[in-house]
Amino acid sequence: MQPVRRILVGLIACLFLMQVPTGRAAGPASSNAEGSPDRMLAIVVNRANPVDELSFQELRRIFLGERSHWPNGKRITLVMMEPGTPERKAMLRDVYRMSEEDLNRHFLRGLFTGEVFASPKTLATSVGVRKFVFNVPGAIGYMALSDVDDSVKVIKVDGHLPSDKDYRLGIKPVLSDK
Amino acid sequence: MKPTSTGPTKDDIRLPASNAAGSGLWSGYGSTLLLLLVFAVELGVGLFLLRDLRTANVEAQRMYAGSVLGLRRIGELQYQAQETRRATLYALTTSDSNLQVEYADQTRAADHRVSEGITEYLQQATTPREIELGKRLSGDWTAYLSVRDEVLASILEGSTKEAVARDLSGGVPLFDHVRQDLDEIKRQYDEQASQRLANVEATSHRSVFRLIGVIFFTLLFATGSVWAIQRSRVQSTLQFAKLQMDFVASVSHELRTPLSVICLAADNIADGLVGGKDQMDKYRSVIRNQSRQVTELVNQILLFASTQERPGQYVLRPVKVQDVIQSVLDATNTLLKEADFTVEPQIEPGLPEIMGDLAALSQCLQNLIVNAVKYGGNARWIGVRANLAAAEHGRKEVCISVQDRGIGIAPDDVQRIFEPFYRSPAVTAAQIHGTGLGLPVAKSMAEAMGGYLTVDSELGIGSVFTLHLPVAKAKAEAAAVNSEVRVSSLK
Repeated sequence: MQPVRRILVGLIACLFLMQVPTGRAAGPASSNAEGSPDRMLAIVVNRANPVDELSFQELRRIFLGERSHWPNGKRITLVMMEPGTPERKAMLRDVYRMSEEDLNRHFLRGLFTGEVFASPKTLATSVGVRKFVFNVPGAIGYMALSDVDDSVKVIKVDGHLPSDKDYRLGIKPVLSDK
Repeated sequence: MKPTSTGPTKDDIRLPASNAAGSGLWSGYGSTLLLLLVFAVELGVGLFLLRDLRTANVEAQRMYAGSVLGLRRIGELQYQAQETRRATLYALTTSDSNLQVEYADQTRAADHRVSEGITEYLQQATTPREIELGKRLSGDWTAYLSVRDEVLASILEGSTKEAVARDLSGGVPLFDHVRQDLDEIKRQYDEQASQRLANVEATSHRSVFRLIGVIFFTLLFATGSVWAIQRSRVQSTLQFAKLQMDFVASVSHELRTPLSVICLAADNIADGLVGGKDQMDKYRSVIRNQSRQVTELVNQILLFASTQERPGQYVLRPVKVQDVIQSVLDATNTLLKEADFTVEPQIEPGLPEIMGDLAALSQCLQNLIVNAVKYGGNARWIGVRANLAAAEHGRKEVCISVQDRGIGIAPDDVQRIFEPFYRSPAVTAAQIHGTGLGLPVAKSMAEAMGGYLTVDSELGIGSVFTLHLPVAKAKAEAAAVNSEVRVSSLK
């Protein structure tokens, strides 16, 4: 019976390894290979915005409110989703790397000290975000890749689009988020 | 001597009214022609009227489609333009980004409808002014939308002051331009509507006037037509009565003279005034000749009556032309000799047989020869000619002509000599006796045999009467022709 038991243990171990995502310990990003494209987080800007690509650091600075204008002179307007939404949680986790309270504190302090130029606009849904970005030339926001349409432009982060294998921003699954 | 004056009356000879008087044609065909003319004129004016009504209708439709609908469209455009502006300004009243996005949606939906309306207006614009207005509106609207987008972006960014400043500096004046453009288009539609309404009114007035004209014209024409028809009937009746009187007078005269002679001769014999064999022979000869003359006259009248009553009485069969001419010359030999006339026959050799009734043909030609003797003048020459000629539809016909070098016929009389009882004033004045039946009888006979009679005459030179008859082909065809003639006569 020993060989049979070994085979069964081996099979269970394989199944377990297949279920648990790998690379999570590496840092902020999940891999495109981990989930479907609709679970990827796309960074979107107005179609008139000439910027097509940002480094992760630039992206972080922008979302922290440390940059005020785009290279074309348009004022940067941050668009966030309401607290509690998976997309916002993913941004807090992967880009801000802070909690909701820390984020609020950061913007309050920044506005007071003048280090932050404008607090983010908060919208309830990704459709609202999309429409906001469509109407405001300097707006930048985020949403699930499945919510993106032609009215906005998805920019590359570190040279990768959300559909690429090495894209770093993903919406954390609800189960694993807990 | 007891003068006798008896003669045939209208009751003795039944005459078709239409043939009895040539002008009766007027009462028959003339009234129909008049009615047709009235109908045609009415139809023409009616069509004019219909065209007017249709024009008015089309104008009214154009007015509705072009102006009323246009005004409605412009009203809708004005409303949607205001909606565009209202939704933009409403976004200023809140700091809630979700509500602001909703207002942005509303203003964009409204501006899309305005843009569509402007495009539709430009597509339907036809006049240069409409096109110019449409282009101006389109340009002003695009300029306003550009500013509106900036204002909207500022509102969404949270820069209310900037949004208000941009709207005041650019949005307000540009939207005012748009409003003015729309007002101008509306004014233009108003003007068009007024113009088209005036056109409709003018067309309606014209139609009314034309309608009155039509009614007046109809009444006038109808009255005129009735008057003309009545007049023609009266005239034809009078003419017919005159012809009857002339006929009675003529026949009475023709009858009375020989009858008087006969009566006088008989009285003289009865009174014993005639003595000796020579005198008795002379009286006997006079009585015989005069009796024959009376008989001849009565026969002529009866013959005419019979041709009118039974036109299909002839049996057509192939007849040799030479036989016909010979028969006629034999029958008129005595007359020609007594009148001292020379007859010059010219018969083309090898003539085909003709379709006809020998007796009728002889009678027909005999009438022509008797006329030639009567009106042949001093030349005392008659030419009888027969030849083959081409007829209609590639057929052949035989023409038998009787020519004289006599007094001829005036052009006005040529048209009437075939009318029954018609006698030219010239021959009446020249005291040439006749019944006016010879030529009508000949004509009736010719037509009853499928032929026809023509005349060519010149006053003072002479006349040529030609009898045209179809060529006989075969026995079967002859039978067919016979049946055709009978059927047509029955009709």
